[in-house]
Amino acid sequence: MTAMALAQAVFRPEFIWDNRHIFVGGVKWTLVISLVSFVLAAVLGLVVALLRMSPSPIIGPIVAAYINLFRAIPLLVFVLFVYYGIAIQFNLTITAIQAGILTLTVQYSAWLGEIFRSGIQAVPDGQRQAALSVGMGRAQAFFRVTLPQAARIVIPPTGNMFIGMIKDSSLVYLIGVEELLRVSYVLANRTFRYFEVYMATVLVYLILTTGVYFLVKYIERRFALVDLLVSKTRSPFARRKAARLRRLQESLSGGGSAPSGPSV
Amino acid sequence: MTAAAAAPGNGDLVLRLRGIHKSFGTNHVLRGIDLSVGQGQHVVIFGPSGSGKSTLLRTANLLEQPDSGSVWFDGKEYGPGIPGAGGEDPPRGKPRDLRQQVGMVFQQFNLFPHITALENVALALRRVKGAKRAEAELEAASYLDQVGLLDKIGAYPSQLSGGQQQRVAIARSLVMEPKIMMFDEPTSALDPELVGEVLGVMRTLAESGMTMVVVTHEMGFAREAGDVNIFMDEGVIVEQGGREIYSHAREPRTQAFLDAIL
Repeated sequence: MTAMALAQAVFRPEFIWDNRHIFVGGVKWTLVISLVSFVLAAVLGLVVALLRMSPSPIIGPIVAAYINLFRAIPLLVFVLFVYYGIAIQFNLTITAIQAGILTLTVQYSAWLGEIFRSGIQAVPDGQRQAALSVGMGRAQAFFRVTLPQAARIVIPPTGNMFIGMIKDSSLVYLIGVEELLRVSYVLANRTFRYFEVYMATVLVYLILTTGVYFLVKYIERRFALVDLLVSKTRSPFARRKAARLRRLQESLSGGGSAPSGPSV
Repeated sequence: MTAAAAAPGNGDLVLRLRGIHKSFGTNHVLRGIDLSVGQGQHVVIFGPSGSGKSTLLRTANLLEQPDSGSVWFDGKEYGPGIPGAGGEDPPRGKPRDLRQQVGMVFQQFNLFPHITALENVALALRRVKGAKRAEAELEAASYLDQVGLLDKIGAYPSQLSGGQQQRVAIARSLVMEPKIMMFDEPTSALDPELVGEVLGVMRTLAESGMTMVVVTHEMGFAREAGDVNIFMDEGVIVEQGGREIYSHAREPRTQAFLDAIL
């Protein structure tokens, strides 16, 4: 007991480095679960958003009920209910990872569905009308004109949802998925080095979420709309596009002596 | 040379509206509109706000489905038809077929903000007419050249002035080679110093013989280009005539409106 207390008192950061393989293994599952759940939730969320806007007097309210139901249940309760409740009651063979991904996907599809719907509805109706007026069909108008604009609008809130997903994925530790919190919990209980272990856990989550934050900022900047012929374009894609535009200008202004924008 | 070069009256009908009615809720916006537009004619529609001018254009290209009435365009009937005339009515065309041949310029430009000026103009060529990217972009650039914006083909709409945006919007419609161009108050959202460049493009277009229907408050343009001039109020056509309407209106309501704005 005294030895343990002494060991506890001395801060030993190298303990984390010695056990880094355990954390790496946990991060791997945290990322897999977060990414898979998020991609599935985004696809399902887009379907939810589209059905929610359906003019049908049946489909719209049903989807609204789906959204309200899954937003209302605490995630932790939902995870336990699915894995221990439903799976046992109906004798389903479902792994903890599958159950975790299922619950995260369903719950996040409700949140993302509402974000996507508000993004789509934020695009002015004049955009759809202009697309129709040049002869595009309804589906073309939606996928070529409305949706790309909605996508830009929802980048920041969707990025926040992904940060939330990384954090919420820790809740599946309760059903035994070997993700970051679970491996930390087991390691800390085995070695009693609670401070070192949980401080490392905090730092790793911080690194993951901050990384996503900067990734979202980068995507936002990447999608910024700048004049291709005036701005200093950095991406190879934008540079190739700018070169194509210059060739077009030269071919039309005849003679190729046309003054083009400042070269990159 | 402006109007003379594109004198109307060769009789070939391009567009004909018959008995168009449209309500929004309890608001009866169009109350039976009949209008014929001949090849090469320039029709100017003016009137107070809320008189149904914009709605008339939007029903004519079927962005709004009329409650009743018929839109005849280039040999085909569109719209719900006229009550009681069901049997004799020819088959109804699809709104999309009509819109591919009717250009529309909006008051708020409605350019697609997420793509460049060039892509705005090329989009329908590629997605509707199925042109290859290189062909579509060359075609689009030549139309942007025509409206004086060759140097702006790589700009996004947010980097363009209102006048430039509206010229891109005109090019976006023209590139589809429409049989008729409709303008819904094309200069109303512009700063005064930018009105001229848009009207300049419209004048050139009128001189080239394009069939046009223009809702506008620009009486200078109307007097100069309007072969058929229509005063609308409260959902009906009050008066229709040649250029003399601006100096000698028959209807007191027309005269009162003109007195108020001139």
